[in-house]
Amino acid sequence: MSMLGMLATTKLGEATSGGGFWMPESASTVAPEIDGVFYFINNINYFFFALCVAILIWFAIRYHAKPSEHATFTTDAPTHNTPLELTWTAIPLLLVGVIFWLGMDGFLELSEAPDDSYEVQVTAQKWSWTFQHPDFGVTEAAELTVPLGRPVRLIMTSSDVLHSLFVPAFRVKNDVVPGRYTSLWFEATKPGQYRLYCAEYCGKDHSKMLAVVNVLPEDEFQTRLGKLAREYEDIADQDLPEYAMVRLYNRCASCHSLDGKSGTGPSFKGLWDRTKSGSTVFTDGSTLKDYMGPGGEFEVPENYIRDSILNPRHYIVQNYAATMPTFKGQLKERQIDAMVLMLKNLDRLIDEQGNPIENPDLSGADVSTGAQK
Amino acid sequence: MTIDRPTLANDNYLTHTRGFLSWILTLDHKRIGIMYLVSVLTCFLLGGLFALLVRTQLLVPEGLIMDQDQYNQAFTLHGGIMVFLVIIPGIPAALGNFVLPIMLGAKDVAFPRLNLFSYWLWIVGAVFLVISIFAGLDTGWTFYTPYSIDDNSAMGGVIPAVTGAFLLGFASIFTGMNFIVTIHRLRPDGMTWFRMPLFLWSLYATAVIQVLATPVLGITLALLAVERAFGIGIFNPALGGDPVLFQHFFWFYSHPAVYIMILPAMGIISEVIAVHSHRHIFGYSFIAWSSIAIAIFSFLVWGHHMFTSGQSPLMNVVFSFITFSVAIPSAVKVFNWLATMYKGAISWNTTMLYGMGFIVLFLIGGLTGLYLGTIATDIYLHDTYFVVAHFHYTMMGSALIGFICGLHHWWPKMTGKMFNETAGRTAFVLFFIGYNLTFFTQFMLGSHGAPRRYATYPADAGFQTYQIISTIGSYLMAISFFMMAAYFLASCFGGRRAAANPWGGRSLEWQCSSPPPFDNFSEQPAVGDCYDFSVLRWDEATGGYVWREDVAHPGHDAEEVAHT
Repeated sequence: MSMLGMLATTKLGEATSGGGFWMPESASTVAPEIDGVFYFINNINYFFFALCVAILIWFAIRYHAKPSEHATFTTDAPTHNTPLELTWTAIPLLLVGVIFWLGMDGFLELSEAPDDSYEVQVTAQKWSWTFQHPDFGVTEAAELTVPLGRPVRLIMTSSDVLHSLFVPAFRVKNDVVPGRYTSLWFEATKPGQYRLYCAEYCGKDHSKMLAVVNVLPEDEFQTRLGKLAREYEDIADQDLPEYAMVRLYNRCASCHSLDGKSGTGPSFKGLWDRTKSGSTVFTDGSTLKDYMGPGGEFEVPENYIRDSILNPRHYIVQNYAATMPTFKGQLKERQIDAMVLMLKNLDRLIDEQGNPIENPDLSGADVSTGAQK
Repeated sequence: MTIDRPTLANDNYLTHTRGFLSWILTLDHKRIGIMYLVSVLTCFLLGGLFALLVRTQLLVPEGLIMDQDQYNQAFTLHGGIMVFLVIIPGIPAALGNFVLPIMLGAKDVAFPRLNLFSYWLWIVGAVFLVISIFAGLDTGWTFYTPYSIDDNSAMGGVIPAVTGAFLLGFASIFTGMNFIVTIHRLRPDGMTWFRMPLFLWSLYATAVIQVLATPVLGITLALLAVERAFGIGIFNPALGGDPVLFQHFFWFYSHPAVYIMILPAMGIISEVIAVHSHRHIFGYSFIAWSSIAIAIFSFLVWGHHMFTSGQSPLMNVVFSFITFSVAIPSAVKVFNWLATMYKGAISWNTTMLYGMGFIVLFLIGGLTGLYLGTIATDIYLHDTYFVVAHFHYTMMGSALIGFICGLHHWWPKMTGKMFNETAGRTAFVLFFIGYNLTFFTQFMLGSHGAPRRYATYPADAGFQTYQIISTIGSYLMAISFFMMAAYFLASCFGGRRAAANPWGGRSLEWQCSSPPPFDNFSEQPAVGDCYDFSVLRWDEATGGYVWREDVAHPGHDAEEVAHT
């Protein structure tokens, strides 16, 4: 075990600073208490494990009968000893009573969010997170920005199946259930970026349902959220495609690839060409072209992209399932514009392997959406 | 001359009748036990292969051999097969069927036809479960809603899988009923409840749980199938149902089911530690009562699977409190096993090594349960690898190792052949090292926050070292299991003939020949204190233990039996 431990700590020491042999780095007000309970149980366990294994090995060696001896049966050993047995029933009873109490105490603290908590609405969907800040009118994805040293309460719901929001550094976790709200709270004690996982199995890309909690000091937090609130308004038309790629695409990434590989949904690569030409085939056998003629629903092809974002289960592309959740209410008009423009200019935004290009050249790009015409 | 000279009878249950039909239509509990054993071991191979796929995938953060869907199917089938087709039937249906009636000195179980029916029902259920492999079942063995009901989520195979689990549940109920009646009605004169071998106590407690809890699983899975097939809203919030209700129903069965798996293993360990220490079991009545206590408490703790599900904090506190009560009878058993070794004459044979290995692994499994019963720490550790490690220590390290230990213990009785001890001990050492490499590292993974059921994991989170060690350990275990298969098979063909009582056991199954005759006993077995080994002595001529000439054999004096 100790050799294993040495291997383990060296590796983790590089990855997460401040972590111990058992528990990783912590960064919330409740974490020290939970770690305290963990280590308390640890000490009891070390003691009893060592005691029992020592007795086991001692007896096994002391009373070992060699095969050639063919075990002479002892009759002088006791068959029972009621006081001894009552003792070793009572001692564990007392210990687990103490452990229960500590665990309950820690849990009650976890379950009561302070009244002045900063609230964030969390929506989980296969396989991404959406974080809405009602105070700022800001929606974030893949990153949750929270203030340092202020209790934050997450009010969570799911738009499809069970998920579970888990931030190891804060020692908090709660399931996210469709059809009801659940909540958890934490108060971050160290600025920095912390991993957020989905902990409840939710299907195909469960292991990619990751996000980051970004803890900022109060003033930086205010500045950042204020900036996010105006972001899509302040941004120049010319920069909208890149904005969508950097800020919005991560909510699409688990299903729509950029390299042409089919995922849960069709790849974004070449999607605009397929849309423009109307070659997309739907599950009922009709093609996009059928809806594109004069007076058709998608006479303006950009409307097909818009409709797919807001009403995604209306037309289902052949060979794919109706799994995409709607983004109605989660995206502002200008953000939808940005998505359309991103798809129209995708070739300028990604390289041949489908990786986003930093500072792409968008000079002369078509930055008009059909909706604006 | 010896009274009970063990000779390999020419006519035993294996040779009594011949032909394929004489096996598949047999009413003999021993043959049914052997058929269960072969079926369970086949499923163990299949479930083990899925485990190796899962472990191999996790060698690298981005996943080595499978895509996300394939990985999800692999861990689902690993879990489903191991739980429903290996661990639950392993001890009661395979070993229990073989040993229970003989331990009672009976000719068969109370309802031999029901026994055969339950076996074939089990086979049909197993076929359904295996069919779901090809339908792409990816819900996890827990079938959590609404994922499992939503056509757009679960890949398929849900209905065949729940049908399979439903049928397997009924096979389990029938076996349980059969055992309860057999133990009540077929105990021989002189074998009072508190003179039964402890393995029978554990099988009895198990059977009670099987009969009471399994119907709830059946009903739950039937509701799930109806909801999925006809869109009736029970668990799906989109149809007005409640997904958390499913978890209550599911764990109301599946937590007691954990004890369906572990209790019989504890019974085997109670037998093995006593027999191979050649020493009277310590604290018989505490061990027997602890089995009953565990069976009762097991029904009251299901909510500890749901501390993070959003159930009310009050329920969390109550369930946490009751959960800790299960720790006590478990601890009592461990202390009693240790005390049984005190002043014994301990054989270091393969069976005893597995027995001692069980104690170590069960200690780790049980003690780590404390972190998970404690709400504050469970909130953090729930759905991480810590939980995976914990339940593998209890389900595999304990329940399955209990099964393997029992298989070694009764192998000479079942086959009439001795396996190679050196190979057995070598395989044990390999297993024990491999096991701890595989699963101890998963405690570390979990305590550092690695969520379970991930096909890929972040490369910079520091998880990979643990994953690699864990995978290497799993390969070592696989090698040890193949070694075990090899020496067991070799013993069938070239093994030394087993004496009636090669280890020095005192319970009744050691008083008939190895393998037992068709009707189990050719002469009346000696009922009495089944842990009083002082009436036995080693007999060099037969290579086993025999009744001492200077001690009266109660079987030859029926009146004495009636009055003890």
